[in-house]
Amino acid sequence: MNASAWHMLLEGAWTTVWISGISIAIGVTAGLILALIRIARIPVVDQVLVLYISLARATPLVTLALFIFLSAPTFGINLDRNVAGILALTLNTTAFNAEIWRSAFRNFSREQREAAMANGMTPWVTFRRIMLPQMMITSLPGLINEMSFLIKGSPAIAVIGIVDLTRVTNRISAVTYEPLPPILVACVLYMAAIGCLVWLQRIAERRANRLAV
Amino acid sequence: MFEKNTSEQTAVSIRHLSKSFDGVEVLRDVDLEVREGDVVTILGSSGSGKSTLLRCINWLEQPDRGSIHIGGQRIGVNDAGRPMPVRELAKVRARTGMVFQSFNLWPHLNVLHNITEAPIHVLGKSKAEAEAHARELLEKVGMSPKADAYPNTLSGGQKQRVAIARALAMQPEVMLFDEPTSALDPELVGEVLAVIKDLSAEGYTMIVVTHEMAFSRAVSDKVVFLDKGLIIEQADPETFFTNPSTERVRKFLEREES
Repeated sequence: MNASAWHMLLEGAWTTVWISGISIAIGVTAGLILALIRIARIPVVDQVLVLYISLARATPLVTLALFIFLSAPTFGINLDRNVAGILALTLNTTAFNAEIWRSAFRNFSREQREAAMANGMTPWVTFRRIMLPQMMITSLPGLINEMSFLIKGSPAIAVIGIVDLTRVTNRISAVTYEPLPPILVACVLYMAAIGCLVWLQRIAERRANRLAV
Repeated sequence: MFEKNTSEQTAVSIRHLSKSFDGVEVLRDVDLEVREGDVVTILGSSGSGKSTLLRCINWLEQPDRGSIHIGGQRIGVNDAGRPMPVRELAKVRARTGMVFQSFNLWPHLNVLHNITEAPIHVLGKSKAEAEAHARELLEKVGMSPKADAYPNTLSGGQKQRVAIARALAMQPEVMLFDEPTSALDPELVGEVLAVIKDLSAEGYTMIVVTHEMAFSRAVSDKVVFLDKGLIIEQADPETFFTNPSTERVRKFLEREES
């Protein structure tokens, strides 16, 4: 591999990182918001969310990405392919994250909530000060698991023409006729990204020990 | 607050309180007056409704009928007779402090922050003010050296003393204790009871659900006995323990002595 091949590879890696990063950031936050709306059990809204979550969880990423990118013009929207990619990844991961957050909320200690109420906290203060900090720690293993699924599933966005870390290896070997070196480097880079997440998880687990009363 | 209050002001007034769980009546037309500065202990066998009564006072349980006033303010129901909005309910709740059987400390906060959390985020106190007050309270319950410790490193007795400090930090008009020593190893019961005794000497208004007879006799201004959701005896501790008027209480006390 020459310098330009390396350059292309790193560019592909960067594309994977920023598109996944944005999708994860939106997906984790949106998942929490959806979980809270579902817990509030608002009629109609609740049914719509249940439908969305089951659809998003049942649709393959490749199909979802294609559907979004190709259907957008029909609605008169000129969708940038990167935006379409982020949208596909986000719609998918949000559905899974919503379920992770919801179960953390539902399993939260009743005793601790009662202590918060007895101390005059409103439901919002209870959520923000008592529940959320602990839910973040207890949900983190599930959320990080979902993040690594997202990164590993992200090559799906190549189907709408985004040159990500996997797609770029194809382009390089089309020139060099040596497919093995770029794909090996790509594997190592994926492992590095997942490795960072696992390392984060370890830190979270250490903090979680404190929560075991 | 620090002198024994001899006024006749009512701290808590409970009228015609009834409550059922799944068709079983746990409280039946309960009336109870607690004056400022009084220590009232509630006795009764398990399932008699005493914890439910206590939990109705700060609306952790909602009674089916009847009313509860805390310092003249009705809890749970607003002037229009409707359920109170959550913010308003939270304000009335803040006038009571509760200590739970299983401590219910918040495990993600250290001892000091368990105590300052509500004063800062409910009462709007400054961090410095809340911490200074918290350290005074930790001194009072003998937990100063553990200010930076996390709850999971404490013994049951230590946790309960922190929980008492946490409730006191809200400067409540009345303290509610729900079997505060029932979850403790026998050798740790004494340290918690000693703290509660100190508070009674300082004139705090307290309602204590307990199984500790000697403690009840020593600290109470009034002893209330619940049986199947009914208050069947209400007396000063001397009368209650030496000369109860009902057969039911006599049997209960005999069993406790043996």
